[in-house]
Amino acid sequence: MISMKHVHHHPRHIALTYPASVRQHFYLLLIGPLVLALVVYLIASAYQLPHTPAPLSPAQLLSATLATIVRIAVAYVASVLIAVPLAIFATKTKTLERIFLPVFDILGSVPILAFFPVVVLVFVRFDFPEGAAVFILFLNILWNIVFTVVGGLKIIPKDIVYAAKIFGLTGWSYTRRLILPAIFPQLVVGSILAVAEGWNLVIVAEALHTYIPHGDPSQDLFGIGSILVQAAANSQNGVFIAALIIMVLFIGVFNLLVWQRLLTISQRFRFD
Amino acid sequence: MPIELRSVTKTYETEKTPAVRDISLRIAPGEFVCFIGPSGCGKSTVLKLISGLETPERGTIEAPQKTAMSFQFGALFPWLTVFENVALGLRTEGKSETHVMRAVYQELDAMKIREFEHKYPADLSGGQRQRVGIARALAVDPEVLLLDEPFSALDPQTTAELHDDIIDAWRRTKKTIILVSHLIEEAVSMGERVVLMKAGRIEADFRVDLPYPRRESEGFHRDVMKIRREFFRA
Repeated sequence: MISMKHVHHHPRHIALTYPASVRQHFYLLLIGPLVLALVVYLIASAYQLPHTPAPLSPAQLLSATLATIVRIAVAYVASVLIAVPLAIFATKTKTLERIFLPVFDILGSVPILAFFPVVVLVFVRFDFPEGAAVFILFLNILWNIVFTVVGGLKIIPKDIVYAAKIFGLTGWSYTRRLILPAIFPQLVVGSILAVAEGWNLVIVAEALHTYIPHGDPSQDLFGIGSILVQAAANSQNGVFIAALIIMVLFIGVFNLLVWQRLLTISQRFRFD
Repeated sequence: MPIELRSVTKTYETEKTPAVRDISLRIAPGEFVCFIGPSGCGKSTVLKLISGLETPERGTIEAPQKTAMSFQFGALFPWLTVFENVALGLRTEGKSETHVMRAVYQELDAMKIREFEHKYPADLSGGQRQRVGIARALAVDPEVLLLDEPFSALDPQTTAELHDDIIDAWRRTKKTIILVSHLIEEAVSMGERVVLMKAGRIEADFRVDLPYPRRESEGFHRDVMKIRREFFRA
């Protein structure tokens, strides 16, 4: 005997409030930084770095973080502005691909830090030490973006390319309306990885004095990276922890507010 | 303007054997022609040659300037809404916003997808995507509409509905339509002519003279069987 079961369809209500877990995270997002800022203030104000005239204030820590962020941001923007056109050009034809991609492979696998002492000396000679850190960050981010964008370009379906041509997309309109949106998901992923590596590198890149013959810490660039290096070298654990907390906090909040949102948006740009 | 292919040969860069070998063909304006044949026989290459996406290594092709194409899986831009996908060609032609709105809504209505205008391709079924692809092609008012296996990934019911809508569009617009398919029944139910291709060559060219809708008509199975014999002949 065949039995039949009625299925009741309940109308779906759109929730006007966020789930409790989201609300909790939201409060944590507001209260967390305040609590951590207080901890940082208490710890940092008790210390003085060797080359600073007064105990390190939370404001100094924050401005050091800001200096580092600006450094990474400048390197990131410059890298994207060069990497994207470079990747597009290098994959434009099969011949260009055969020439450029092996070159990228070689250049991308060269350890950037091996060249850092030379880069530092060149920039110091021109009295522009800031340029050394930004340049090395730029190179590091550049290859990450180049490789992910090349990957993104290679997965554009052939039919989409044909459709673009059939419907008259050429030159700049082809780049603007097909290529740039198509590489957006890979650009986001590449940016996340590249900027994360940038944060790793900044710790080395700001401590210039270690690469200058007879250098001293006063030659370091002002930033969270150099504070970390100097605090570690002088066993100033409080400053070290405070700087670390600020850095991790910024990276975490940035990830939550920027990268995660961009990742969600980039889903719309993916080919099936 | 008719489409004329004279002794056309095309070999792809990555292949050793030609995809299309020395084919000659004339398609009159307003004709509905179906290309059939086994996979890799060169039928999709013929579409690409007519549309100008590929160039022949030998031979000449004369075709109207304005051709539009619909692809196997729709080939829609995932970041554009249905409306913007259909408007794509019109926007690149620099048409006015009034013209774009009128043309897009006309084709959305004809393809019965107006209710999805704000949706993205990822939110549509395979059949709906295919309708958007065809609407996009028709919106630019081409002289020739090229359809590259548009039904191959669709269920039978959606396929049957789309067959009717394409035949309606053909009767309404009087455009030349060239359809690539691997199904004999599909070709016989839709086209005025069925061109059979094998190994890059045109093997046979059939004229189908049956009233629409054809699947119920008397001669449908007779014509299908006639082409089937040629299709499977070694």
